[in-house]
Amino acid sequence: MSASQTVFPGWMEIVDIAVHEETRQHAEEEALAALVDQYATMLYRVAYSVLRNPSDAEDAVQEAFLRVLRHRDTLGEIRDQRVWLIRIVWNIVLDRKRRAKSRPETDDVSELARVLPAKGLSAEQIASAAQHHAQVLSCVDQLPAREREVLMLSAFEELSSVEIASVLGVTESSVRSRLFRARNLMGELLNHSRSLR
Amino acid sequence: MNSPKQNAYAPNQPRDAASAEETLRLIARLPATEGLEERLKAGLKAAPKKGRVLAWADPSKSGGGWMRSTAVRAAAAAAIVCVVAGGGWSVYSRVQPAQMPKVIAMPQRVAAPGGFSSAGAMRTPQTLNGSVLAHPVIAMPKQDGDGKKLTAKTKKSRPAKPSPAGLRPMVTTAH
Repeated sequence: MSASQTVFPGWMEIVDIAVHEETRQHAEEEALAALVDQYATMLYRVAYSVLRNPSDAEDAVQEAFLRVLRHRDTLGEIRDQRVWLIRIVWNIVLDRKRRAKSRPETDDVSELARVLPAKGLSAEQIASAAQHHAQVLSCVDQLPAREREVLMLSAFEELSSVEIASVLGVTESSVRSRLFRARNLMGELLNHSRSLR
Repeated sequence: MNSPKQNAYAPNQPRDAASAEETLRLIARLPATEGLEERLKAGLKAAPKKGRVLAWADPSKSGGGWMRSTAVRAAAAAAIVCVVAGGGWSVYSRVQPAQMPKVIAMPQRVAAPGGFSSAGAMRTPQTLNGSVLAHPVIAMPKQDGDGKKLTAKTKKSRPAKPSPAGLRPMVTTAH
């Protein structure tokens, strides 16, 4: 121990703690930045698949990372950070979707049909594809919430059924059964809409 | 990763749904907007930092803080004891125990004005109207046929204690 530490042990301690705190904060910020680099795109896509609006999706991802920032002390305890983050953003987007029921869905669908890739297609084909996408999305919206959620998450190739189960907080077998039901319902709904045309 | 087998279609499931899922897959594969990460990081930096409370030096983290000193700890403990004892004493000293009166004043009987009066008669409870014994009964112990006393327990006959130094107990008989 140095002479100054002997004379002012309490003061030196406070200085040590401040330095330690600063280092810790810096490490936490770096860890968070790494999470942003690694998962921001994935989370954005998850958010976009539900909200179907770029700025809303970005807001949702921002909110998710702000929540992570609030719980950064427990970041080291998370086993699967990817699933954990998806779960956070999933809950946020569902909540936002619930609250934004007043907005007409048709706006989202037309916007989405415009955004979806249509390379090498003629103008007529693009219009037809857009119509098909819009029809599919309206059918998806008619599905019961449980089935719809599983169907939407299963579209993400990065997510296994175990991970989907973890995001939704259910068992893997129930994910599979819900997916089965969702596909059957989707088939029925698409047939019905086609017969109406 | 989600292998194709994991969410594969069952043979009896409608094929229309497969084409519908293709739309969902297209949405899921859509690229994020330009500069998303930078905006997110900027947003996180601008976010208010976690509120911090001025904390005492933690003795478990630092080598030897002032809280480690035995004298300071003893003084702190003594101060706590003083505060608790003082509080208790102040409460105790304010509470006066209710004193029981030595003489109880009985209310005077007042005759009801204008109504029936008891003419000075006192009501006495009739609990003593039963048969009254003329002579007091002397409790005598009951004896059985042999004339022995009955006791709650018949004691086993114990062998007489041997007298010290092997002496026989002296028996005197009156003739």
